[in-house]
Amino acid sequence: MNIIGRRKIWYAISLIIIIPGTISLLVNGLRLGIDFTGGTLMEVQGRADAATVRQLTDRLDIKDVTVIASGSDRSLIRFRDESKPKQQEAHHQILKRELSAKGLDEIRYEAVGPTVSRDLTRNALVSIAVVSVAIVLYIAFAFRNVPPPLSSYSFGFMAIAALLHDALLLLGIFSLLGAFFGVEIDVLFVTAILTVIGFSVHDTIVVFDRIRENLRRERKPFEDIVNQSIIETLARSLNTSVTVLLTLLALYLFGGQSIKQFVLALLIGIAAGTYSSIFNASPLLVTWNNWRAKRAG
Amino acid sequence: MSLRVKIILITVLALLAAVIAYPKESDLLRVIGFKQNLQVKQGLDLQGGAHLVFEADLSKTPEKERTKAMEALIEVIQKRANPAGTAEVNVQRQGQNRVIVELPGVRDTADAIDRIGRTARLEFLEVSPSSQQTSLLELTGDDIQAINIDFDPTSNRPVGRLEMKGGDATKKFADATTTINKTGSLLLITVDGQPAFGPATVSEPIVDGTAQLQGNFATVEEAKKTVELIRGGQLPVPVDLVEQRTVGPTLGQESIDRSLVAGIIGLSIVALFMLAYYRLSGVVAVLALMFYAALVLAIIKLSSLTDYTIVLTLAGTAGFILSIGMAVDANILIFERMKEELRAGKSLLAALEAGFDRAWTSIRDSNVSTLITCTILYIFGTAIIKGFAVTLALGVLVSMFTAVVVSRTLLRVVIRQKWASRLGLYGVKPQEIQS
Repeated sequence: MNIIGRRKIWYAISLIIIIPGTISLLVNGLRLGIDFTGGTLMEVQGRADAATVRQLTDRLDIKDVTVIASGSDRSLIRFRDESKPKQQEAHHQILKRELSAKGLDEIRYEAVGPTVSRDLTRNALVSIAVVSVAIVLYIAFAFRNVPPPLSSYSFGFMAIAALLHDALLLLGIFSLLGAFFGVEIDVLFVTAILTVIGFSVHDTIVVFDRIRENLRRERKPFEDIVNQSIIETLARSLNTSVTVLLTLLALYLFGGQSIKQFVLALLIGIAAGTYSSIFNASPLLVTWNNWRAKRAG
Repeated sequence: MSLRVKIILITVLALLAAVIAYPKESDLLRVIGFKQNLQVKQGLDLQGGAHLVFEADLSKTPEKERTKAMEALIEVIQKRANPAGTAEVNVQRQGQNRVIVELPGVRDTADAIDRIGRTARLEFLEVSPSSQQTSLLELTGDDIQAINIDFDPTSNRPVGRLEMKGGDATKKFADATTTINKTGSLLLITVDGQPAFGPATVSEPIVDGTAQLQGNFATVEEAKKTVELIRGGQLPVPVDLVEQRTVGPTLGQESIDRSLVAGIIGLSIVALFMLAYYRLSGVVAVLALMFYAALVLAIIKLSSLTDYTIVLTLAGTAGFILSIGMAVDANILIFERMKEELRAGKSLLAALEAGFDRAWTSIRDSNVSTLITCTILYIFGTAIIKGFAVTLALGVLVSMFTAVVVSRTLLRVVIRQKWASRLGLYGVKPQEIQS
């Protein structure tokens, strides 16, 4: 099996998958939930009719009302109430009572103020940045004794490249889901991204580890060693991913409604992580090495 | 340590973990005289309840007094949220100026918010001694600048020293005391409708806004109690509700039931896969996995006895289920390595040891990177993310132990048995072996 020799095909596949999402990300951005924008979310048992809800909210001076179906018989009502916190709570009680009279009982209520959402957004961005830097440093440290031709930092940066691939793919798909299906991202999505990052690196390191070991033992061109290492770890990569994806699939199909989206993000991200650790991270080491050799002439 | 000792230790630990993880563990533990009830502490999203975040407005508080003001605020909120001191209410500071209040199982959130966040429930009353009638004065807790313990210079007895805010408050207080003094009425201060001070006489109109509360306190403690009672009636700094998350009990129960089903199904699929693909090694992996699940559950339950209780949230259960996958990964890494060594012609014992030794660097490096991620998530994350990070990290740590110690020891015992010497049992076909 020649995985390295066909690396341009793998890069092309990645690009084809990533480009639509990236374009959507640039054009539409992400559909941010109340965790990031501030606002109110109310989940009720039963199918709420948008017109009925608006009739109630119009009287209370509540803005930006959207009503979406959730699961088989629940509805999510999202709105923005810019009055004072005390007034907001009074509005909430009125709304709850009136909806309940229509047979729509509140089962969840979340209201996030603007300062909280601003802090959350900042923390989310900071943690993603810190995780990335920490991983480069850790890999550079863990691979400090890697035999030539590449430095340990190259391994760190290629792991980050694979990680960016996975994160970008996940963000892109959720941007598309947001644009076409109104899917909003929340604080759990940040958790999902970070988990995918962790898992992606976990996967990549296993292959890198084998490359390091083979570099010590074998006297072969770098390309061949990388290819051999990928193939030797292929069964492990696939089996691990299959078991993780199966558990996640069980969670997606049988788990609660409130984490469905979170699990979907993990499913997509971990599948992407497996692909990138086999078909991107290690081939990129070869591409990088060849480019350096050519430049050095 | 000899193999025999290791096996005994592992068996004992496995039994212990199983007993603690068993849902009705208290019945079993009572037999050995252990009386405390262990429990998996559930987050609000699982058991239902309200998560409230209040933000204090510290703009008018001097920089130096902010920490003290926040501490006082938390104390007052604690008392208001949990007046009887019996409920499992959690009040903690978040960041510079926020206070998180967690009220498990609360149905009437509106009442709780009102109770915690109201500005003052301190009332000043005028009591007429002849008719026993009381009338509300126009003063509230908002008018008070400070209340402290003091000593009367002449009698040297402890008194309360009340300072009104300047301007309007002082004038209102002056007017009220003038009337009371003139009519011979008494002054009564109540907190939440309960008398806190008085009824006491007002010897002369108080125009400068500072009053001495002479309660004939016998001890300093007594005076302190009164002062704190009045102080507790008002929030030291104004607060706003900035975040509210309420989950109904039905939704929480549903989440638990569904996660449980998903976890069992997920675990079963993984077990079947491991058995089908890795045969005898798979059996060992499944045993190690069961050990893993019991140990994680036992640790979560035992943590409820310490100050570092692990709270299981919805995201946390997802982290737990995900860590099952990572626990399997360590086993897969080892077994794949073992198969390679067997194919290369090594003996079972040699292949086993080499497989573990060689897989170790991969397991270590990959899990450390996950642990780094968990740590950063814990430091920067909100409550929901923290719960996820803790369970995932716990899962990763325990899985390293079960894969490297438990699986290894079990396999060492198994491969010494005569019936277990056929390589097919480990998923290696005879024709694959290089001689």
